Amino acid sequence: MSAVPFFFDILAYSAIFVLVVLGLGIIASMMGIFNFAHGEFVLLGAFTVYMFQQKGIPTWVGMIAAPFVVAIVGLILERIAIRRFYTAPIVAMLGTYAIALALREAVRALLGGRFHNVDAPLAGSFVLGEVSISQWRSAVIVITAIVMVLCWLLLTRTKFGLQMRAALENPALARASGISVNRVYATTFAFGSALAGLAGGLMVPMYSISADMGVPFLIKSFLAVMLGGMGSFEGSIAGAALVGASSAALPWAIKPVVADLLVFVIAIVIVKFRPEGLLSTWRK
Amino acid sequence: MSVNAAPPPFRRVLPIIEIALLVFALPLPWVLDDFWVLFATKICILALLALSFDLVWGYAGIMSFGQALFFGVAGYVTALLATKSGVTSIFALMPVAAFVGLVLAFVVAVIVIFGKRIPSVIFVALGTLTGSYAVERLARGWSWVGGQNGISSLPRLTAGSFEIEEGIVFFYIALGILVATYVLMRLLVRSQFGLVLTGIRQQEARIAFFGYQVQSYKGVVFTLSGLIAGVSGGLFAFHEGFIGPGQLGPVLSTQAVLYVLFGGAGTLIGAVLGVAIIELISYVLPQFTWLGETVTAFLETGWPVVLGLLLLGTVMFRPTGLIGLLVSDRERVGSFGKAARAAPPQKSQASHEPA
Repeated sequence: MSAVPFFFDILAYSAIFVLVVLGLGIIASMMGIFNFAHGEFVLLGAFTVYMFQQKGIPTWVGMIAAPFVVAIVGLILERIAIRRFYTAPIVAMLGTYAIALALREAVRALLGGRFHNVDAPLAGSFVLGEVSISQWRSAVIVITAIVMVLCWLLLTRTKFGLQMRAALENPALARASGISVNRVYATTFAFGSALAGLAGGLMVPMYSISADMGVPFLIKSFLAVMLGGMGSFEGSIAGAALVGASSAALPWAIKPVVADLLVFVIAIVIVKFRPEGLLSTWRK
Repeated sequence: MSVNAAPPPFRRVLPIIEIALLVFALPLPWVLDDFWVLFATKICILALLALSFDLVWGYAGIMSFGQALFFGVAGYVTALLATKSGVTSIFALMPVAAFVGLVLAFVVAVIVIFGKRIPSVIFVALGTLTGSYAVERLARGWSWVGGQNGISSLPRLTAGSFEIEEGIVFFYIALGILVATYVLMRLLVRSQFGLVLTGIRQQEARIAFFGYQVQSYKGVVFTLSGLIAGVSGGLFAFHEGFIGPGQLGPVLSTQAVLYVLFGGAGTLIGAVLGVAIIELISYVLPQFTWLGETVTAFLETGWPVVLGLLLLGTVMFRPTGLIGLLVSDRERVGSFGKAARAAPPQKSQASHEPA
């Protein structure tokens, strides 16, 4: 057995994970809200693709639709509930947890509590020398890379990105400068939700869809965001890559059960001693 | 003359609710049939879990999303003792459950609470949630403790040669432990110690500037709450005759949060009420048949959606919980120590957190 498929698996898992964390990280750093419903947004994205397949529409259409559907859901939730929570991060945690519960159980009722599979739009595999590599996983890695670059450009090179960073830095001053902070927040939230939806849509062919698929992602993403440090784009991605890669790679070396525990404990201990995130000292 | 009259007499509602609930609970086994006695026992046991969360969140402002960790592990340890070593005496198992909860909570506190800098609330919430999730994964994959299936068909608890059956006797044991815990907790949170806790909840930095060892206070209260959750878990395992990974993880942990927020954090009776009401709603909802086919079919599996929406409504519109409808803010905050009754403290209006 060669090491290539092994690294490829890890890369594909980390890619999905980076997408999830990116959405969570943007919402957490820009708005100071730890969105407990983020895992359920991933689930909704997966569910959208599943519904499209049930209706006989090709899966790739569903995958394109998933981010938009989830963004709309996110936008509605933001307008109804989440905007009330901006001043109180703990209430926000509880409120989004309640939203998560409602969303998850609604999907569970609709799915009938079972696991379902969705076919990948690209089913075959490449053959490179002696190793074969799943086409879909490669596509996921490429898409993630593109989305990451686009996000970075959006945050650093566009007017909207500037407004977003301004609203993060000093909401009052941003308001005084004529930026509609409310609208920026709403858009940011919808954007973060869309990323979760995209991740959910892309991952269904690799993992089967069930109502509880979002929960593990949620906890690991929180750790990744804290590990990378709140409020930084690179930090979130670095944290995501670290947590994603180690939780995908470690089960090959030691028992999967112990591996999970180890990842969690190490992450928590690191965050305890470096609450500003791993990159903070390095950046200064 | 009457312009400067004394404020209207301050009527205390909480003791009335507490006594009414106790009077209501005491004769229950004679009124209800077997199923409902079991149900009432379960409520008493879960009320202990809710109280343990209320103590850390409602009084000390520590957001613990990991109460099920102490609950579940204590349940597992006592269940293992009973099945593998044949210990069934309640006088041995319940102290063990309490001790396991205490030690485990202390370990978690060392990681997430103690330390030089004050950890952010988010970190504590995530740390406890992660702990709960990680241990659930561990239990699911560990075949010695039953893996996915958990440990079932536990023997009954015994007291001497007497076998404690689920039913009336178990109900009174659970109720007795609940009432005793409740009374002790009530004394605790109304003492000077409770005053410090409340101070930490409202304005942690200020209490630290007064010279209090804030982290030690939080650690002690967190460890105590682990003890209570442990007792609850031990009772639960033997009452249900079963303990599984589901009793360890984030689902039950967050359920505890739900109970307390719904009932009203920061009042002990609110936690108990929250358990009773949510458990009743969860039981009754799937049986609504008069709402039409589709709604019934949906509620059969989808009833937790309603719970989620209820919780969202509570968090958005009634942060003081249901108890806030009955009890005034002044009484909810209460008074501390022996001499404090003369001048009840004012509630701070600025904070959005449950007071």
